[in-house]
Amino acid sequence: MVHFAFLDWFWVIAFVILMTICGILFYNLGKRSMADFFLAGRGLPWWLPATSVYATHTATDTPIWVSGVIYQYGLRGIWYTFFSAWCAISAFASTRIFRRSLAYTQAEWQTLRFSGVGAEMLRGWIAGWQVFMNMFILGWVGMAMGKLCNYLFGWPQWIGLITFSTICAVYVLAAGYWGVVMSDFQQGVIAFLVIAIVSFWEIGVAGGPHGIIAKLDALGESWRLNPFAFSGLTSGDFPLVWFLTMLVIAVIGGFGMGTAIDWYPEAQRIQSAKTVRDASYSIWSGTALIIVRNALWAVAILGFFAMYPQIKETAQYEMAWYRLGFEYLPVGMVGLFFAAIVAIHLSTISAHLNLGASYATRDLYHHYFKPKASERELVWVGRISTLILLLGSFLYGSMMKEITQWLIFALWIMAAGIWLPSILQVVWWRFNSWGYLSSWIANLGLSWLIVWVLPEFRVIPVLPDYLQFWIMMILGSLIYFPVTFLTRPENMDRLVKYYVMSRPIGWWKPVRKEAERRGLLDAEVKAAEGGS
Amino acid sequence: MSWIKRKWTASEADRWTKEDYLVFVISPLIYFLLAIGTMLSLFLLWYGWVILAASLVLLLVMIWIIDPKLKAISLDYEQKQKHYLEDLEKIERWEE
Repeated sequence: MVHFAFLDWFWVIAFVILMTICGILFYNLGKRSMADFFLAGRGLPWWLPATSVYATHTATDTPIWVSGVIYQYGLRGIWYTFFSAWCAISAFASTRIFRRSLAYTQAEWQTLRFSGVGAEMLRGWIAGWQVFMNMFILGWVGMAMGKLCNYLFGWPQWIGLITFSTICAVYVLAAGYWGVVMSDFQQGVIAFLVIAIVSFWEIGVAGGPHGIIAKLDALGESWRLNPFAFSGLTSGDFPLVWFLTMLVIAVIGGFGMGTAIDWYPEAQRIQSAKTVRDASYSIWSGTALIIVRNALWAVAILGFFAMYPQIKETAQYEMAWYRLGFEYLPVGMVGLFFAAIVAIHLSTISAHLNLGASYATRDLYHHYFKPKASERELVWVGRISTLILLLGSFLYGSMMKEITQWLIFALWIMAAGIWLPSILQVVWWRFNSWGYLSSWIANLGLSWLIVWVLPEFRVIPVLPDYLQFWIMMILGSLIYFPVTFLTRPENMDRLVKYYVMSRPIGWWKPVRKEAERRGLLDAEVKAAEGGS
Repeated sequence: MSWIKRKWTASEADRWTKEDYLVFVISPLIYFLLAIGTMLSLFLLWYGWVILAASLVLLLVMIWIIDPKLKAISLDYEQKQKHYLEDLEKIERWEE
């Protein structure tokens, strides 16, 4: 338990009021239309969605997750957090293509890229899955806050879970994405500054940079300073093939859409940027901030290891960064620290409340139930969806126990079988909706089989995660490639329209030729592309 | 450095060119160096500072290469966006 002085409570209450007011102030803008409620009118300069990318992906569970991998693996654990590097290529490839499509959501993009029943099935599936996933993420992030409040104040976990998410819902319900992005800016700045201050303080407490190095030397653990301390090519707890697999997934994944679960919130930020250029810079720079933040955390957590090297229980060392902050910061600073934690929590909760509601409103209600709905009605449906997501997240949150276990499953396994199809749908004209749909269905079955069922019945051994990825990718491709070739290509009218609007990268020659034949491409481009 | 094109017409910028492919290589490299450079610099190791500086130099190079092209794409596309949005709403309302 941590004792809060008057100054500590002052910081917390002041920040919560400031954040909530900041969100509510944009009520009048948020209620104007669905485009305002979910995309802030598509008019934001790059630095606003950039801070939103950073703030959204800095949640209460993030330092728990980063502490876990750094304490366990040393600085090489940073590569577990490097999956966010998919934005390196995405910012200049799939972001550009997606922004030009103007789709509100990834589900909507499916009906612009594909056509017919297959496209509609994909849209319905992805929309439903995203409503569920956002509720699920809200649950696990909320539960991390519950755990933290239990650790700090001894409150039952449900109090932390419900209190802060409910405060956040006030401004999301009022102003929609305008409230999210404006409070994200404020929360992102506060969070980055406080994370930097606290991490530097913690490094000092652990003995400073040289002190930490000396302590690690004395413990015989100086290998923890090496980000490339691999345990072998395929053997040990940190093999080189895992690292290479991670690099392939993260970097090449940037050509696709949906190769990482973070794509979905990013897609909303991409569409809210006022130009293609703003969209590219927002995604790139928001992720650069995430990478710097992870590096700051990593050093502070290695300092924690130097101080407490004997902790064996995951649940204990996962709290490393929080423990250092709450046990070593001076009075007054502890409240500032907690206020920043509330800020990062609210930014994540608000983003996922609004994102989940956008799929429920735009893709399910508007597209399938009431296409003629007025803008006013759609804004209200957005608010009701937000409320349903909030209540659902309380239910999911109360069902989760091990944060790291869920995160690893979500980050690694759930995307494995659809990683390549998510790239193919962007770069290859012949890949059709049935191929993509079959890859999703195959992945659902294969991931459970390879990861849980077959090892449980001793049909196969428990495989390392990098091997699971490659096996699922190969087995999945045995299903979706035949399905693609045995079914018809997409309707050429739809493909041409999509090509002219989005100018996708990759293998699109037959579509480009058809667009040229119809006179839809500029003569200058025709001449230049004729030889390619 | 005339090898890098810095003046684009809108239609030229719509094509995927060597400037894009260069950025596809440089951009992940910046993230990679940024992660390692920041960590090692915080330990006050000299090579950490060198790596961090390299990532910042590469960042400037990347912007120098891609920014003119992104500007050209954006300028042209924003003029067409209104028409595209109207089209999108027709699809959404099952009018097309």
